[in-house]
Order: sequence, then C-alpha cells, then structure tokens
Amino acid sequence: MKKLILITLVLMLSIIPLFAGGASEGPAEGQTEIYFFHRWPNDPKNSMFNALLEEYMAENPDVYITMDCILNDQYKERIRMVVSSDDVPDVFSSWSGTFAEEMIDSGNVLALNDIYEADPEWSGKIASASVAGFTFDGTIYGIPWSQDGKVFFYNKAIFEELGLEEPETWTEFIALLDTLKANEYETPLAEGLVDQWAVLHYLGTILQRMIDPEVLASDYNPATGEFTDPMYVTALEKWQQLTSYMGEIATAIDHETARNTMFATGESPIMYLQFAEIPQLEQVLPEDFEYGFFNFPAFEEGLGDPEALTGAPEGFMISNKAENIDACVDFLKWLVSPERGAILTRDCGDISSVDGALTDETALPEQAEALKMIQEASFLAPWLDNACDAAVYVVFGQGGQAIASGDATPESVMVQVQEAAASIR
Amino acid sequence: MLTRKRNFGAFLFCVPALLILAVFVYLPLFENIIFSFQSFTLSAKTREFVGLDNYKALFSDPIIMQSLFNNVLYAVISIVMQVGFGLVIAAVLEDVVFRKTESFFRTIFFIPTLLSMTVVCLLFEFVYNPQMGLLNSFLELIGLEEATHIWLGDSSLAMLCVIMVSQWQSYGYITMLFIVAIQKIPSELYEAAIVDGAGKLRRFFSITCPMVRQMFFVTMVTTVVGAFTVFNEPYILTGGGPGTATMVLSLHMYQTGFVKNQMGYASTIAMLIFIITAVLSSIQFFSFGKEREGDR
Repeated sequence: MKKLILITLVLMLSIIPLFAGGASEGPAEGQTEIYFFHRWPNDPKNSMFNALLEEYMAENPDVYITMDCILNDQYKERIRMVVSSDDVPDVFSSWSGTFAEEMIDSGNVLALNDIYEADPEWSGKIASASVAGFTFDGTIYGIPWSQDGKVFFYNKAIFEELGLEEPETWTEFIALLDTLKANEYETPLAEGLVDQWAVLHYLGTILQRMIDPEVLASDYNPATGEFTDPMYVTALEKWQQLTSYMGEIATAIDHETARNTMFATGESPIMYLQFAEIPQLEQVLPEDFEYGFFNFPAFEEGLGDPEALTGAPEGFMISNKAENIDACVDFLKWLVSPERGAILTRDCGDISSVDGALTDETALPEQAEALKMIQEASFLAPWLDNACDAAVYVVFGQGGQAIASGDATPESVMVQVQEAAASIR
Repeated sequence: MLTRKRNFGAFLFCVPALLILAVFVYLPLFENIIFSFQSFTLSAKTREFVGLDNYKALFSDPIIMQSLFNNVLYAVISIVMQVGFGLVIAAVLEDVVFRKTESFFRTIFFIPTLLSMTVVCLLFEFVYNPQMGLLNSFLELIGLEEATHIWLGDSSLAMLCVIMVSQWQSYGYITMLFIVAIQKIPSELYEAAIVDGAGKLRRFFSITCPMVRQMFFVTMVTTVVGAFTVFNEPYILTGGGPGTATMVLSLHMYQTGFVKNQMGYASTIAMLIFIITAVLSSIQFFSFGKEREGDR
C-alpha cells in the first residue's frame, strides 16, 4: 500500500513540470517582445485574441506577443496601478473619456498624431467620432477598435399589436409607457438596477439631454464641477418618473437578468440596451422575436443636443516606455483593420470602428442599422462613468438607485453630488 | 551566562516570525497611518499632504454613519444568533439524549462553514431572487403570498437579508467551538447536580454557562471583530445597494479607494476600522485574557 502511495506521489510530481513547461513559453532569442494587456478574459473575445495573436506571430516570426488579461473592474484597478510604474504594458486596452485621461495623466502614454498622419490610408478608415474619444487638446492617445451606443430596444410584435410608434419626445415616450401599462404590461420598461453602471448609463443620457452643454462640461471637469444648476434636480425627477415603469423588482435584479427574463420573454416590451449586447440578446431570444430600436427621446425642456447618442469607443494605447514602439504600432495597425474588424463584429458582436469591417457576411442586419445610427448621431456622448470623476459618478449611481427604491429624493441626491464635487475641486 | 545564551538562542528563533510580522503587518499599518493624512490616486506619482482633512471628511460623511449603523446591527445580530444560538445548540447536542446522533448533526451544522463565502452568496442570490427565488416560492407554496418581498431590493430588508447569510454560514463553527468547551467540563459537576435534583435548564444555566465563559468571550470577540470587518457578503449580494442601504465600513473603504480612486481617504476609513477592532480586541484581552482556565 505504502509503495503504491509512493509511486503515485512520484508520478504526480513528475507530471507537474510537464504542465508548467507548457505555460512558460517565452520569446526566442532575437525575437521582439510585446507585452499586451487587455480586459477580455472571457469568450468569445479571449479565443478571438488567441487566434489573432497566433496568426500575427505566424506572419511575423520575429515578434513575440505576451498576452495578459483580466476582467473589467479588476482590470481598471490593475492598469491604474501599473500605468504609472515601470511595469506599464507595451500595449493595453482603454476606455475613452475620463478613464483615458487618467491613463494619460501618468505621463506614460504615447502620443499618436505622427502615426495617424504618417499612414492616412490606414487612419482614414477609423471612425473619427471614435478617435475623438481618445483625443485631448488635439493630441491623439489611442487607437479605437470598437464603438458602442445605447438605445431603447423594443419588441416589434407588441408595438404592432397595440399600434404603437417609436416615440420622439419625452411626452410621447411616457404616453407610450402608460399605454403599455394599461394593456397589462405591468413592467413596460425592463431594467436591473443592482448594477450601478445601468443606473449611470441612464443618468448620463438624461443629463446630456437636459443640461446646458456648457454647464455640463464645466461640471464634469473635476476642477470646476459644482452641479448647482436647478436643471439637475429636474433631470433626476425624469429619472424618478422613469423608474416607476421598471417595477419594484428592478432594484433587486441585475441588468442581464432583466434582459434575459423580462425583455426576451416579452414580459417587458422595452429595454435600454447597448448595441454590444446584440449577440447575448440573440442567444436568448425566441426564433420569431423581432426587435427594433430608437434613440433616447428628446426632452421638451432639454438644453442638450437630442441627436447625440450615448456611447463610447474603446481602444488601445501604447506606452511611451515600450522598447519596441514600432513593433507595437505595426501590431495595432494590423489589429485595427477592416479584416480584423470584421472578425470582431462577426465573432463577438462588437461594432468595429473601422470603415468597411461591417458587411452583409460579417454583420447582422440589426448591427448594420446600429452602425448607421452611430454614424448619424451628431456626436457620441460618453457614459457618465467615463465623463466625470469617480467620486461624483459613484454618488450619482448610489443616489439613482436610492431614488428608484424610494429612499432618496432628487433634491437630496443633488446635495450629495454637490458635496462630492466640492470634495475634489 | 547560560541563560543569556539560551535567551539569545530563543530570540533567534523568533526573528523570522518577527520579520514577517514587521514587513507584512506593522510596516503597512505604519504606512497606512501616513497615507491617512495624504490625498492621492492609485496611479499618482506624488502624494499630497492634507493634514486632518481626511479625518474631518470622515466625521461629516453620511455613508460612514450608515455603515457604522449596519456594522453594529451586524455585530448585535451575530452575537445573538451565533454566540447565543450556537451555545444552545451545542448544549442540546451534548445532551445524553442526542449522544448517538450528535456527530451526524455536528457535521450537518458544520458543513456551511466549509463552503466558500462566494459560493454561499451566489447560492443565496438564488434564494432571495424575487422572480424565481426559493424563499418567495416557498412562501407562495404555503399560502403566504403577502409575506413575499423583493428581499435584496428593499432597502429596509436588504441589510437583514445580508446579515442572515453569514449567520447561516457561521453558527456551525461557533457551535463546534462550544461543543469542544462543553466536552471539557468535568462530568462530576453534572453528576453532582443531578444528585442534588437539578433539572436540565438549571444545569445549563448553573454549570454549562459559567464553565464555558472563556469560550463565550473568545467567540464573542471573533464575531464582533468579524462583524466590523465584513466585506464579502454585501459586496457580492448587493454591492452596498440599493443606494447605500447595505454599505458597511470595509465596503465603503474599498469603493472609496478602488472605485472613487481616493486612496488617502480610504486609508482614513481603514484607520477607523483598525481603531474599532483594536479597541474591541483590547477590551477582551485586558478583561478576560489574563484569566486562565484553572483560575475559575
């Protein structure tokens, strides 16, 4: 018996190095190494990146790419910690807006204007609205590779049955929700508010539509933010009004649950969704389910541009500490191209920011329509958590939730927001 | 001379432990004290000294009050449910009547302790789910529709629901500790009490309770300190919401540091947690720590 245990132990110990050896593959001598860090460890993106890297390294045998990835929130924490250190990755993914600014503040992000100008054939294909999300004071710091927008998705069958039309103004929208409620759709608007970002996506759009753009820009700037404009309270009142159509349950479930169990089942005819969610939505929808979308309706008293679309590009940055900047640029040019953009849209459903990536073969008709909406939008308004400082948006998120659960009023939330803004001014 | 040599030898053996403690406990603690007077972000290269600003913010932060309230509620319920209830279960299981089935029940009660908190929280998400959760389905099944709630989405119930999860998980552990303590009570005491005509309740209050006093205080301090450092349950189940209804100190510290990116203020909150737990542990140490088991 003892012998058996001993043999098993020896066997197990001798197997371990076999596995370990497989994982610790590294660059061969003479190869240029690129350390690539991104936020998509889950499939289908992870498999896509693995396949793409393999393809790239086969085409460029002198380059070796080490890829590392962790999911969203952990990614944010890690990249914040390493970006200002010497361990900053050569190429890393970044959101646009304030997050990008935070990365740039570290002083370790490469300015890309020369690279854009040197190759107009390549850079001309990248959607300029997306590049704008990475441009600060005229300097471009990122290469966008996907773009997203948030709109109301609706159940076409229910709309047809009740003879409803896509609303263009807030009054029309509320009337529509009331009609649905009167027709036994108790929760006409599906949403899961356990996720604070879901609250923030709504509030970001409402604020952009309601508040004077100049006031908003000054308030979103941590150095000048005051949030004293009375329109903010009105804006939160609109949010309060909207939550009354989401049902009591909304504060107890998350966004995905609401999408899969309420919108996809036809229980709720409308939901505020990202274009990037189309692939997940397609997976849970019944065969004959048809959906359309409309942009967030315009507020009659709103001072912001109602033609804007809430959404943001995501892309990559290069460290100015990278030893092989040229290799990094070549790799990103290869990655952010019509061919690879097509793969991104086909395999993962994200809408590529490269012109010509979406074709009938690579994209669903809905995705083509989504791209059209993104292109037709007057501009892309950033998510609230990309637009202002975290100290402020966390208060908006918690306050928005508390308004939905009936524990706070728009006035009390704005007082807290003002305090938070004052604390970082 | 010999003793000094021996002392030096003994000291050498302590060095590794001291070094590890110094590097991983005392140094970060000391650094945290400095951080709590500074203002900086995670990616910042410099840290700005702000004096007592962070501490002033601490006392005017409404979320701190909410968190403290929730932590105290957590502690009180934990003492009643885990220490009180755990002692009763331990005494019942140690009773002659349960002798044969004791190990079975002990295992049953102890199993939740072995589960990872993350698993337990995910499990309870299904229990509390308002659409298809076990709890609401059960209430509907037995005809109590009006007792169904949107548990984690209702700010007046959410904190209690979160607290109940840790009670479910931890009371088996405390019960186990009490069982060990009760087993160490000399059986002569019970035998003498029986001869004197004491009933079961009398024996519980007059023999079991005083004899497990030491364990009582140990478990009380661990549960109370646990209640003030709780993080996983509200983080996974509610994220502190709805609003800030289930916010606790450690979660507020985490959000301030890693979400709001205000590391200085987060360090100040960490100091508050440290002071609370240090005071509570000291009370235990100074009032009961000197008492030896033989002194009773």
